[in-house]
Amino acid sequence: MNEPQPIPRKVPDYMRKAGGFMFWTGAMVSAVFLYEVVTGLILLFYYEPSNAYNSTEAFLNTVPYGSIILTTHLYGAYAMIVLVYIHLLRNLFVGAYKKPREMQWLSGILLLLLTIGVGFFGYSMSGDVLSSDATDVGRGIAGATPVIGQYLTALFFGSGTQLSLFHRLLAWHVVLAALIGIVFLAHFFLAEYNTIMPSGKDSGERAPAIDHDDGTYKQWYPYNLMYMLQIVLYTLGIIVVVPSILAVVPNVPALFSPFPQVSATSPLAMSVPAYPPWFLLFIYKELDFQFAQGLGPFYATVFFAGLPLAYLVLLPYIDTKASLKLVDRPITVSFAVIGVIYLAILSAWGALEPGIAIANTVVVLFYLVPLFVVPAIVITLSNAIKTGRLKNPYAGGIVLSAAFSGVTAFGLGMIVVSAKGNYTPGVIAGLSIVGLLFAISLLFAVGLFTGMYPPSVRKEPVPVSKNTYVAYSSVLGIVSIVILFEMLSMPFGNVYDQSLYGIGLGFLFIIGGVMIRLYRGQFYNE
Amino acid sequence: MAGNEREEQTPPDASRRNFIKIMGIVAVGAGALAFLRGGIQNIIPPSGPVLSGFPSMKLVDATGKAISTNSLQVNNPEIVTFDYPLLNEPNFLLRLGDSNNKDVAINPVSVTIPLTGGKFTSPGGAGPYKSIVASSAICQHLGCIPPEIRYHTFTSASFDGKIHCDCHGSTYDPFEGFKVVTGPTQRPLPNVILSHEGSDPDSDEYYVKSLVGPVIYSHTSDLSGGNPLPSTTETTVTQTTG
Ligand code: FES
Repeated sequence: MNEPQPIPRKVPDYMRKAGGFMFWTGAMVSAVFLYEVVTGLILLFYYEPSNAYNSTEAFLNTVPYGSIILTTHLYGAYAMIVLVYIHLLRNLFVGAYKKPREMQWLSGILLLLLTIGVGFFGYSMSGDVLSSDATDVGRGIAGATPVIGQYLTALFFGSGTQLSLFHRLLAWHVVLAALIGIVFLAHFFLAEYNTIMPSGKDSGERAPAIDHDDGTYKQWYPYNLMYMLQIVLYTLGIIVVVPSILAVVPNVPALFSPFPQVSATSPLAMSVPAYPPWFLLFIYKELDFQFAQGLGPFYATVFFAGLPLAYLVLLPYIDTKASLKLVDRPITVSFAVIGVIYLAILSAWGALEPGIAIANTVVVLFYLVPLFVVPAIVITLSNAIKTGRLKNPYAGGIVLSAAFSGVTAFGLGMIVVSAKGNYTPGVIAGLSIVGLLFAISLLFAVGLFTGMYPPSVRKEPVPVSKNTYVAYSSVLGIVSIVILFEMLSMPFGNVYDQSLYGIGLGFLFIIGGVMIRLYRGQFYNE
Repeated sequence: MAGNEREEQTPPDASRRNFIKIMGIVAVGAGALAFLRGGIQNIIPPSGPVLSGFPSMKLVDATGKAISTNSLQVNNPEIVTFDYPLLNEPNFLLRLGDSNNKDVAINPVSVTIPLTGGKFTSPGGAGPYKSIVASSAICQHLGCIPPEIRYHTFTSASFDGKIHCDCHGSTYDPFEGFKVVTGPTQRPLPNVILSHEGSDPDSDEYYVKSLVGPVIYSHTSDLSGGNPLPSTTETTVTQTTG
């Protein structure tokens, strides 16, 4: 199917242009995964399943740089989950699940499951209140599995003693991480084999979309390598900077705090609301539904998480049409948007109202409204575009931003309905964030639709003089030396000092990325 | 292709290019260096003392209630231990009695360390009957912990009245400052110094003060080489069936 080409393959220039980063979501996931493996192996030296909570706290407080490693390991995991979702959505929207990439898609779904699984076990390992809440939910679901429930519980959570619990959590965390590594290799080599998903212009928006080197592709080395290094450095910079900043900011909510909470056995544990990790909040919220409580945790999970999963697995075999155009796939697009709505709102809901039972009427409203409204909007818009009644070069963007503003409007409604007039600070915060997103996406959709945005006259890039590049790079070089010097001369002390070290480290990574960008701009003409 | 040709045809700005290259390497190198420094310093476990001195800790049960004289059984066949001074460092807590389960008063004795020939003074028993003693429960031979090493009461079939380690057969005598009875161990068990407060055997309290004798097995100092206990003021006594 593909002309023999050396691996790693050369890729088209547009992948390295501005906006080309959407072609590199997989690379970002891999970068984070690598970081997680390195920090995870370091943590493995110190973790004691017999003293899960105390050894975690001791690592945090007494081991040099322990706090950077622990907090960035946690935030790296968060970043990996978010990026995996973004990677999935991107490939869903461009139709990358279609021929010949079915296997890539399926291995990707497997990787999503493994990533969430590894995150769940890792999150549970610290032994703090949140982790024991998470373990309890997991235990509840596993234990309610018909026939094999008790074996599953023993398999994943041990014989019931704390020691066997944390030993198992550690084992599963490492085993699943190793599995991710193996499946990732398959996923990656399939991607090399099937080539990158070419841009719509190149593929004519028809499957099978294969990328062909038309002779103009630049060498993999150094062009691609440098670009990848740039992306990796940015990604690492962000996952190091964010938790380090959160570590010095006071009053970070428990759900996003980079530190473990109080021990599950401490009397203070009562004061911390029972949250699972945020990436499982949606399952947690579903278990609060009135009729889900009738079903029991196992069937509720099978129903709520299993259905979307089955849909994703079957998607390459349902949507077999050759067209990759969004307007030719209104149903797939609608389902993707609906999925995002459910996921986002359930998660926010779980965070704002943990463990509060939800009446059947609200549940039905929540599920049915998007199910009818979104496809109606998407299909109408797609037809309008297809029949030419709506001519707009930004049609795809309009559909997406309109759908997104629908999502947020619906979210606003749900928050108002479920708040029942009780406006706590949490509800207000939720309302304002979702409201802001709604306003932005609506403005964006209207702007695109009326042609006000983006301005039709594209600005020619101002040629930057070569000396400017030199000036920039020397400034950045000096700044990085100064940061390094500060970091090395800083007294090694408490968690606060370490967080400053982390912030410095993150900025060094980001500066490194910017330098590569400058170098590419100047000498690769990119 | 356009980019390639441009580079090949125009004379390369060698010095500019090298300058930016060097600056780039400096920036990326600084990041790598900072990361490596943190990482390497991290995987070397902190060797300095975790504690600045022996903490005084109240002995409590799992519910946080103080251990009183009468909550300890004379000649208890179960294994009763508490962690001190760091996590995962078990110590025996024994209420010694004779074959009629009568408390036996333990007097301070001088104990010899066969390995070095040195001596130390064992504190003797604490409590109203001077019958409560404690020692490290980590075997001084190769570090076995309970249940391999344990106290055998007078009703046991063998080693009665002795602490015996099943790993390689070391035997210690708790009545004589945990001195070595038989090898292969060359060092007695480190003795725990207890203090007793109160006079009512149902509501009195015991405090762990410090250790005397050899250093806990495999440690360079009793106060380093582990993680601190969750509390700085009390340690929990647990009982397990051996
Ligand atoms: S370890 Fe106890 S006798 Fe060898």
